[in-house]
Amino acid sequence: MKIKVDYDLCEANAICMRESPKVFEVDDDDNLQVLVEEPGEELHASVREAVRLCPRQALKLED
Amino acid sequence: MLPGDINLNDLFVFDDGIPHDWFRWMRANDPLRWQPETEGAGYWCVSRYDDAVAVSRDNVLFSSSAGGTNIFEAGDEQLVMLRALMLNMDPPGHSKYRRLVNKGFTPARVANLRSGIVEMSREIVDSIAERGECEFVDDVASQLPMMSICDMLGVPVEDRRHVYDLSNTLIGFDDPEFQVSDDDRMGASLGMFEYAQKLGDERRANPGDDLVSVLVNGEVDGEKLDDLEFNSFFLLIALAGNETTRTVTSQAMRLLIEHPDQRALLVDDPSLLAGAVEEVLRYNPAVIHFRRTATADTELGGQAINKGEKVVIWYPSINRDESMFDDPDAFDIRRSPNEHLAFGVGEHFCLGANLARVQLNAILGELVSRLPDMEFAGPVRRLHSNFIDGIKEMRLSFTPQGKVT
Repeated sequence: MKIKVDYDLCEANAICMRESPKVFEVDDDDNLQVLVEEPGEELHASVREAVRLCPRQALKLED
Repeated sequence: MLPGDINLNDLFVFDDGIPHDWFRWMRANDPLRWQPETEGAGYWCVSRYDDAVAVSRDNVLFSSSAGGTNIFEAGDEQLVMLRALMLNMDPPGHSKYRRLVNKGFTPARVANLRSGIVEMSREIVDSIAERGECEFVDDVASQLPMMSICDMLGVPVEDRRHVYDLSNTLIGFDDPEFQVSDDDRMGASLGMFEYAQKLGDERRANPGDDLVSVLVNGEVDGEKLDDLEFNSFFLLIALAGNETTRTVTSQAMRLLIEHPDQRALLVDDPSLLAGAVEEVLRYNPAVIHFRRTATADTELGGQAINKGEKVVIWYPSINRDESMFDDPDAFDIRRSPNEHLAFGVGEHFCLGANLARVQLNAILGELVSRLPDMEFAGPVRRLHSNFIDGIKEMRLSFTPQGKVT
């Protein structure tokens, strides 16, 4: 699983950070940081939920 | 309850609160129920969480622009006006406008507003603290949204009441008590447009760091907003910024009074506040429904939907979907996780969500810590509407306290 962020869409709503805090972090300047680009198996469920609930659909997954 | 009784067009039902019995039945038995209409073609009711997410995320198949986002069927001329509001746009147009305004609403920008919002909350509670009673909606709940949205837009203090009154007229159209005729409504739209025009002209000449300055001087695709576009933006932000947060603030206080055990938890442990705000948003989302229009024949949750048919998402039902929330009818401020859709999801996710959260945390924090024994001193009177879960009057009494500022 690989995470791709479309930074043109991202608005820093930080929903992903709530769903999967080990993987996503929105810093103080409103920039989304992906902490783990290829998250391990144990994080997949939370990452999928982050992708699904991203208000702006800025997150995509690649196999 | 008989399924044949369900009629989500009946606003009198909403006078007594959200008809959760109906929604519970729909989620279990007919999650995409067809609601007939006497003055319209009827519509599909989305009552389950997953279907709401699917519809909200697919702007191509479920359009906000084709027929607008209200249930009523607007005429061609009216649709032109409606489509000037971001709410009733689809991508790619919507995304461009959104990029222009979202600068004003990011977490960092809103964090800068926090101390001002906390200060305003203190003053609002000061204004009632010594009296021992208040009409909560007017005296408290409506104050902070009006002050902070006007602050953000750059509306001077002396004009705030005017903008607030116009916004009330615009949203209260279904409630006979407000006696708003179509003419009044049109007049209020024009009044709002006129005011926006005046303020916009001023900020074009003398830009400040407010949102109106950003809007009149910013560009979409290398072009400045025209008057209709700018005025529509102003109207939408003024409206959405006032009605919704006021509604949730009032609902929050009602819920805390009706659930003394939950209020006691919060009084004892203020760190529960953020969770309490989320639970209020889940339990009584301000917006009851939004509509989309199917742009092609499709299928949703096993139900065939024809091109052109209306699809209406009912947020109070989504937020109590048993498959997403344990014991969904329990008001539990410690609920976690709490992925409610009070702000929607997808392209139209509430622009002001961050701002609303800061406001709600500030005003409720102030109220719960300083006036922890608020009680009802009269009936809670609800807005006659199936669109906004508003409270129009709520008299409260409490032990008088001193001012802090």
